[in-house]
Amino acid sequence: MPHVPSGLRWTAFCAAGLLLVGVAAGVAQSGAKAPPADVTQLYDRSCASCHGTDGLGHGPAADALNPKPRDFTRGWYKFRSTASGSLPTDDDLYRTIEAGLPGTSMLGWKGILSDAQMRALVAYVKQFSPRFAAEHPDPVPATRQVVASPESIQKGRAAYDSLACGACHGDGGTGADAVAGGMKDDWGNDVYAPNLTEPWSFRGGRTAADVYLRLKTGINGTPMPSFADTAKDEDLWHVANYVVSLARKPVWEMTADELKAHYASQAKRHADNPVERGRSLVATMACGHCHTPVDREGRGLPGLAFAGGMKMRLVVWGDVVSANLTSDNETGLGRYGDDDIKRAFTRGIKHDGSRMLPFPMGWPAYAHLTPQDQGAIVAYLRTIPPVKNQIPPPARLGFFAYMGAKFRMLVGGEDFPIVLFVGNAGSAGNPGSGAAAGR
Amino acid sequence: MKRILKWAVVAVVLVAACGFAGFLYFVPPLMSTDPQQFIDGEAAMAPPVDGIADPATRAIAERGRYVLLTTECTGCHVTPGPQGPLPDMYLAGGRKFTTNNHGVVVSRNLTPDHETGLGGRTDDEVKRVLRSGVYPDGRPIPHTAMPWAQFSNWSDEDLHAVVVYLRHVRPVRHEIPPPAPGVADAIVPGALEIAAGVDAGKK
Repeated sequence: MPHVPSGLRWTAFCAAGLLLVGVAAGVAQSGAKAPPADVTQLYDRSCASCHGTDGLGHGPAADALNPKPRDFTRGWYKFRSTASGSLPTDDDLYRTIEAGLPGTSMLGWKGILSDAQMRALVAYVKQFSPRFAAEHPDPVPATRQVVASPESIQKGRAAYDSLACGACHGDGGTGADAVAGGMKDDWGNDVYAPNLTEPWSFRGGRTAADVYLRLKTGINGTPMPSFADTAKDEDLWHVANYVVSLARKPVWEMTADELKAHYASQAKRHADNPVERGRSLVATMACGHCHTPVDREGRGLPGLAFAGGMKMRLVVWGDVVSANLTSDNETGLGRYGDDDIKRAFTRGIKHDGSRMLPFPMGWPAYAHLTPQDQGAIVAYLRTIPPVKNQIPPPARLGFFAYMGAKFRMLVGGEDFPIVLFVGNAGSAGNPGSGAAAGR
Repeated sequence: MKRILKWAVVAVVLVAACGFAGFLYFVPPLMSTDPQQFIDGEAAMAPPVDGIADPATRAIAERGRYVLLTTECTGCHVTPGPQGPLPDMYLAGGRKFTTNNHGVVVSRNLTPDHETGLGGRTDDEVKRVLRSGVYPDGRPIPHTAMPWAQFSNWSDEDLHAVVVYLRHVRPVRHEIPPPAPGVADAIVPGALEIAAGVDAGKK
């Protein structure tokens, strides 16, 4: 061993020590606070339109989503491998990001983002809640899976009944005879017990092991409890096997005859529950896209869902303001009969007989709704709580301004844009912006 | 004789002026056309599913046609022309949107054309756009222009039916430019502006 002067040895020792402290400090910093700028950018680009840049789960697109996006700030997660009320593990969060939540807007990011990016997002999402610094996840102990068998499924059926799963999920998981509605999550949003015969939309996955975990750990923040303390572990496996056995064929596997029967029975279910059908139609037809006024980010103004008030400048046909679709008697649809409402959205003729343009209100398309679906839409609109928001009448251009604009358009070939304004042009105030109110 | 000629010229000029004024006033005749014509036109654009040989696929596509027709996808995705949407460019895209936060975007070509439409896209990629507003490369789609957040409420089965129908629409070659940054040509701050009659795509 060569001789090293002791002064040099000490210097090297101190330098190594300093380096270690520096690295440790750097790791601690990147782990706990101030995430690297590129992760913030990645989050803002990929996650923020639903979860919000602040992680509160109220990004600009969140209003229209069902279920609502996760609020990261409370550290309260639905799909975990940990005890009820506990934090999720990093792998739980990673799995949600990687595979997504089927049946929702939360997509699986595998193949779009790299492994390192998804890991970085796990760390980023965790820093929104102080819980992760103070607590540790409490994984449920692994138990032996009970392999599915006719016997296990039968026991599962018995346990499904004794645990009263059917109170929410219905007899045989179909939703029949279940609590029809009125369930809320901890954030006050409407939630629905999933139809257990449609496993392709199980958020946490469709295998027996996935279903077992939901039973064991509960879905925190929703009415779905954990059965860890109320049922034997073995019975939970039986229930999981039973639930998996309930799966019906999805349409993409059906024959033509099965499809015919399926769509007929679906139409019957819709006829039996027009409000639910109408709610679904109004949501998917994007009525709120124009009939809910928005702020500059495109987020619905609070308290004005379906209350109308979005001002639209229609090329040369003047300014129109979207109608108030709530059930208010003075300013909403409460004053109109069912046929008046149907005539408006299927023929573009308002209650006073005046006409609507064939755009942006797509009545020529909505006319093709079946009479049953038209009725369902009206039935649902009647249930929207009244919001007073007086909508101004359309403001057409004066004769000469109109002729001038038409000349520029038809002869000059000018392309006037249709403009959708931010803010509420109705009477209920205009919290969103400084855009001119319509009156 | 001269006097008659003079009056004739005046009359012709007057009639022409009235005709031109009428043209300016009434064209396109959006408010005087029978609503049924618009309604029929809407359905005529959406090709029927009769041509699909497999009966199961036909039944699902029929459902998809119903969902797509009644959701008015045509409002943005039929190529705009000066007199209104161009029926032979059904779902071929090209309408320009100037958004507040996401620059200029153009409605995409949804026909099965391989190079310019959805022909090269997998079902999952199309579904991800419709439900989550995310392109295959991870780019987000502004929810103010494309209401994917609302469409996320379609059941998985209806979403599937929409994609099956889109696969059977007539392919149209129509290249759509990629989204461009900047809102330089926005007229009203904060608003969403939708081009009225000009096709931003390339045939």
